[in-house]
Amino acid sequence: MKGLKQIWRQYRLNRWFLFLLLVGLFALPLPQFVAPERKLVTNSLLFSFTQMFMLITLASNWNLTGGFTGYVDFGHAVFFGLGAYGTGILMNKLGWPFWPAMVVGGMISAVFAVLIGSATLRLKGPYFSISMLGTFVAMREIVRVSKPLTGGGEGLTLPPYLNRPLFYYITLILAILVVTLIWWIRRTEFGATLIAIREDEIGAEMRGINTTLNKITAFWIAAFLSGLVGGLWAYQNTFIDPDVVFFESRTVELVMMTMLGGLGTVAGPVIGAAVIYWLRDVVWASFFQYHLLVEGALLIIIVLFVPEGIMGALGDDSSTSLGRIMRRWFRESPKEGVA
Amino acid sequence: MKHKFPRLLTLLVILMLFLAACGGGQGGEEPTAPPQEEPTQAPAEEETGGGEEAAAPEFDGVIRLGAAVSETGKYAREGKDTRQGYNLWLDWVNNEYGGIRVGDKRYKVEIVYYDDEGDPDTAANLVEKLITEDEVDFLLGPYSSGLTIATSAIAEKYGVIMVEGNGASESIFERGFQNIFGVLTPAGNYTQSALKALADKGAKTVVVAYEDTAFPTSVAEGAIKWAEEYGMEVLAVETYPKDVADVSAIMTKFRDLNPDVFVGGGHFNDALLFVSAAQELGFTPKAMVITVGPSNPQFVEEVGDAANYIIGPTQWEASMTWQGKYLGTPAEYAARYEAMWNEPPTYQAAESTATALALQAAIENAGTLEMDAVREALRNLDLMTFYGPIRFDETGKNVAKPMGAIQIQDGEILVVAPEEAAVADLLYPMPAWEDR
Repeated sequence: MKGLKQIWRQYRLNRWFLFLLLVGLFALPLPQFVAPERKLVTNSLLFSFTQMFMLITLASNWNLTGGFTGYVDFGHAVFFGLGAYGTGILMNKLGWPFWPAMVVGGMISAVFAVLIGSATLRLKGPYFSISMLGTFVAMREIVRVSKPLTGGGEGLTLPPYLNRPLFYYITLILAILVVTLIWWIRRTEFGATLIAIREDEIGAEMRGINTTLNKITAFWIAAFLSGLVGGLWAYQNTFIDPDVVFFESRTVELVMMTMLGGLGTVAGPVIGAAVIYWLRDVVWASFFQYHLLVEGALLIIIVLFVPEGIMGALGDDSSTSLGRIMRRWFRESPKEGVA
Repeated sequence: MKHKFPRLLTLLVILMLFLAACGGGQGGEEPTAPPQEEPTQAPAEEETGGGEEAAAPEFDGVIRLGAAVSETGKYAREGKDTRQGYNLWLDWVNNEYGGIRVGDKRYKVEIVYYDDEGDPDTAANLVEKLITEDEVDFLLGPYSSGLTIATSAIAEKYGVIMVEGNGASESIFERGFQNIFGVLTPAGNYTQSALKALADKGAKTVVVAYEDTAFPTSVAEGAIKWAEEYGMEVLAVETYPKDVADVSAIMTKFRDLNPDVFVGGGHFNDALLFVSAAQELGFTPKAMVITVGPSNPQFVEEVGDAANYIIGPTQWEASMTWQGKYLGTPAEYAARYEAMWNEPPTYQAAESTATALALQAAIENAGTLEMDAVREALRNLDLMTFYGPIRFDETGKNVAKPMGAIQIQDGEILVVAPEEAAVADLLYPMPAWEDR
């Protein structure tokens, strides 16, 4: 526990910042209730934040396998999709209320993660990445042909319940819980094990770590949480079909966001997701046709100049050229003053 | 090892982006630029000065309509047609018709457009923005069934009317919504006119093959229902996956059943496959109804003489003979459209114009801009347009408009059903392939 205290002390200013940020985020929708006619905060702004919180949660989940364990998963959106369809089927076909449907949707994702993970997580490097990409594409087609259950290509509609402030709070709380969970995991023996697997899997195994079990555990936790996000997304979109749920760029974006923020760090996916979301919302909207090009170019820049992401470049031990420059700029930063 | 990891990752991600870009590129090719591309927000202010027939009318107010329609993304092409359809109406109603007549007042119309990028999240957000921030009076629909399903839920939440003309899926109208009205013939009725005409000519048996995706499934289920309704026997029903490369197994089975009518289809390419397989295998039903393809002039080009006698359903053709209350006949509409946009109207454009006409007529009938009154007027609407008759049932579907059917005769696409809109007689039975 001493370690935790030290960390908190070292980041005392960060803690205040974090505290204010959270208070601000929780207070943001309040004008909606107090004076809705003033339009200080619109529903569409809340909706944008809701989307961002979902992306933060998804990127954090992805980071658990992709960043900590070093297993780059190109099909993580399959768990999002299973959660969405689990929720959709239970609500549309069986008339379940939303909450149990969402939880069961998440569980379906987790169970599927255990099944598919016990096969694919034994593969290394690109073989794993490609096999998960295959799983993602295959699942889309399986959903498409299982017409009696999933409605096939026609999709399913969910009862519309569009309460933006409510969804805002649900996704905000989920994002906070997930980031806290990952922050905690990072500091447990389990987290250390995952990083050991990333750094030297054979070495970890030699020291008696059941690597497959640990990998699968990380995998299903991430899958469960992404499944919950999928269920939420389905409910607030009120409609799912294979193409909107199993959407390729969703799976690529998670990788992008995590890499931009910093692979294998707790705050990395949060920062990366927030930056990319608002960049796209504000700047890229004007030249949408080329947004994949811009994303590709950005990715190359990240890898060439800031391979450790924003978090890595700001850290003390950054080895990248941009990181050194940034450190020089921020030399007077409170972080170093406190230490 | 540590250095290799991110590089490998990059290569893979770039590969993925490339794949995603290719996947999203279908049909999303750069639209050919029309004369003066409309700006994202296109209130027709700049046009008020140049009144053509009615001298620049004095308006008593403004009606603001909102529409989130794809400008980019996978529906870029269809979205452009949709906007052009809306804008043609906008130009006509403001500059020629003199504004929407509400009681004895005349209202100028503005349309606030946004680009939904073909993405349901964006579309939902934009429609919410149109309602809460732009405070539009009414909504016009987006392009595609999926986006209509997503955005109609928002419209329903706020009780704002959305009239749409580009979502045919039945599930749009099965949710008990009070604010969604669709002017196009729903998918289930696609083959109705063709099958009725064939039944009248004495066809007795039917086989059906369809692609296992949203729209073809609704069409095929409707075809089975209507065939039975008109006293025909359905001998076999087959499905095939999307992007099928060979349909000869299905066609061999059908040949042995020797049906009078073949109904099939999904995408344009499937239509080509069906015709060539039938020809090769010597399968000659007395009529072939193919749901997507025949009404497209390119079909005749690709198939050549074998295209003759083939029947296809169509939402709208410029050669139909409807006599509209506004904008005249389909031919007059097509001429006006071509003059404005330098290209012939697609049915997507026509149904978009009809969408706006239905809303206009309902507002005029209601004599007020009050939401409840206009909704009631839409429910009671009975309007004849260049696009066909419009009358909504309680779910918001247009139940009045029959689907047209065309038959290719001597390489020409001619409307043969329904009788009210037909320009030629249905040729039945079709002669064997070798006797042509």
